[in-house]
Amino acid sequence: MHFKFNYNHEMYQALWPGAFLFLFLLLIISGAFAQEIKEIKELQKDEIGKYIHYEVVPELPVSADSLFFKAKAFFKLKKMDPFAVDSTALEQRGKFVINKTAYVLSHPSGEILYNFRFEIKGERYRFWLTDFSFIPYQRDRYGNFVPAAVKGIPLEKSPGKLNAGEWSAFVSEAGRQSAGLAAEFKAYLSSAAQQAKPLHKTSPLISTKSW
Amino acid sequence: MKLKSFFTLSALTMSAATYAQETTSSTPLQISGSADVYYKYDFSKKPNIGTSFANDQNSVSIGMIDLALKKSTGKASFVGELSFGPRGQYGSIPNGDGEAANANNSFHIQNLYMSYAVTSKLALTAGYMSTFIGYEVIVPTGNFNYSTSYLFTNGPFQNAGIKANYAFSPKIGLMVGLFNDWNAYKDVNGVTHFGAQLTVVPVEGWTAYLNLLTGKAAGTTGTGSIYDLTTSYQVTEKVKIGLNAADYSVTNDNGGYSGAALYLQNAFTPNFSLGLRGEYFKTKDVPDLKGSNVKSVTLTANLKAGGLTFIPEVRFDNGSTARFIKNNLDPTKNASQFSLAAVYAF
Repeated sequence: MHFKFNYNHEMYQALWPGAFLFLFLLLIISGAFAQEIKEIKELQKDEIGKYIHYEVVPELPVSADSLFFKAKAFFKLKKMDPFAVDSTALEQRGKFVINKTAYVLSHPSGEILYNFRFEIKGERYRFWLTDFSFIPYQRDRYGNFVPAAVKGIPLEKSPGKLNAGEWSAFVSEAGRQSAGLAAEFKAYLSSAAQQAKPLHKTSPLISTKSW
Repeated sequence: MKLKSFFTLSALTMSAATYAQETTSSTPLQISGSADVYYKYDFSKKPNIGTSFANDQNSVSIGMIDLALKKSTGKASFVGELSFGPRGQYGSIPNGDGEAANANNSFHIQNLYMSYAVTSKLALTAGYMSTFIGYEVIVPTGNFNYSTSYLFTNGPFQNAGIKANYAFSPKIGLMVGLFNDWNAYKDVNGVTHFGAQLTVVPVEGWTAYLNLLTGKAAGTTGTGSIYDLTTSYQVTEKVKIGLNAADYSVTNDNGGYSGAALYLQNAFTPNFSLGLRGEYFKTKDVPDLKGSNVKSVTLTANLKAGGLTFIPEVRFDNGSTARFIKNNLDPTKNASQFSLAAVYAF
C-alpha cells in the first residue's frame, strides 16, 4: 500500500499551518455569531420586583374556546407541567436549559424554571412568564450533567459580587429564551393548524413509478 | 500542496458542520472538566491521615486536570473521561498493564463507555465506568469535602462491565450488571462480579440507592460482597443531609470492613456553604490480626466564585489503635490536619 504522506513528517508540515488558520478563523466567526445572538430582550420587573416577560395581544385570532384548546396543545408540545387551571386561565411550569458555551464547545450548566400564565378576557388575551429560578447542574460520576439541587434559586436573589457576571448571563439568557418562547407561542395561536406540530418534519414521498 | 491540504480540510470541516445541522437528534460534543490544586498541613508535621488524595505534607501540590467528553446521537451516546495528575494517574486509576510497579504507562481513563436507550425506560451501557457504590466520587467537583472518607478509599473506584438500567417510574429504578474485578481495565479471571442498584425517590429531594456488588476477584481465595446504602435529602433550599453505610466481607476469613458516614451541609448564601462529615470505619478481623476502627470528623467550607471553589477544611481522626504518628515518630491514636484546596469546574 502506498501512502501519500510520511505520516510523521510531511502530513504535519502540510496540514497544520492551514488547519490552524482555518480553525482560528472558525472560532472568531463563531464567537462573533454568538455575540450577535446575545443581543436580546431583557426581562422586566413587575410591581413586586419579580422578573417577568409580559405581553397583551389585543385581538383573538380565533374564538376563545379554540384559543384555549390551542394553548393547551402548545403547552403539551413543549412538555410543560400543568400548574393551575380555571375556565379562563392556564398556568404551566416549564424550564429552559442553559448551556455554558465557549466558542464551538458547550455543555449544559443549569436550568431555569418558570411559570407560564395564559388568560383570555373578552376579545384579547395575555400571557406572562415569571417566578424564574435557577438550578445549577453538576457533573455526576458517570460524566452526565444533572441538577445539583431540587429547589431553584430565584433569579431576583442577589448572588453577590463573586458570581454577579455569571448570574447576569443567566438573567439575560432567561430573557432571550422567554422572548423566543413568547414569539413561538403567539405564532402558534395565530396559525391555522389545530394540531401540534410534529417534532420531525416528514418529507413528501417521491414516486419513481410514474413520470 | 499546503494550499490543497488546507482546502481539503476546510471542505471536510464544512461537510461535517452541514451534516451536524441536518442530524437533528445529534447533540453537540460536550466538553467539560475540572482542575484542582491544594495545600495540606498535618499538625504532627508528618503525612498521617491516609485519605485517597491530597497526601503531600506542607506542600502546594496538584490534584489533577480532568477532561470529559460526551456525545449523543439519537439513542446512542458515549462518555470518555481522562485525568492527568497524581489524583488520577497515581490515586484513582490502574496502570495500563495492571502492573503495580509500572506507574508510567497510565491510560489516564476514568470513564469510557457507550450507552444505548432501548426505550425511554430501558438503557444498556457497556465499558469502564465510575463505580455505582458509595457517596463520594473521584472528581473533586462531585464532593463537598476535599479529603475523602475511609469508605470511599476502601471501596471500588471503577467497575468495567455491562449493565441495564430500567426506570419503573420516576421514583423507582433498577440497575443490574455483570462486572470485572474492581478497578481493572481487563479481567484476567473473567467477568466474575454481579452488581445491582435499586434507586428509590420517596419524596422530592430525597434519593436513596441500595447497592450490591459481589464476586471473586483474581488471586483471592474468597468471594467479596459489598452492601451499600447511599442516600441524600435536600431538606430545605439550604440544608442537605447525606448518609453512606456499607459492609464489605470476603469469605474464607479474608476480612473486609464496615462503616457509616453522615454528611450535614448548610448553604448560608448561594456562594458560601459549610459542611460537617462524621464517619465511623471498622476493619474486620482476619486470622492473626484483630480489626480496628477509626472515627473521623471533617469540617469543610465551600466558597464559590464563578467556576472556582475554594475549600478550606479541618479534619480530626481518632483510632482505636495507635495508627498515626507524632512529630517524634511515636505512635498515637489521634491525627489532625488543615487543607486548602482550589477546584475549578468548566
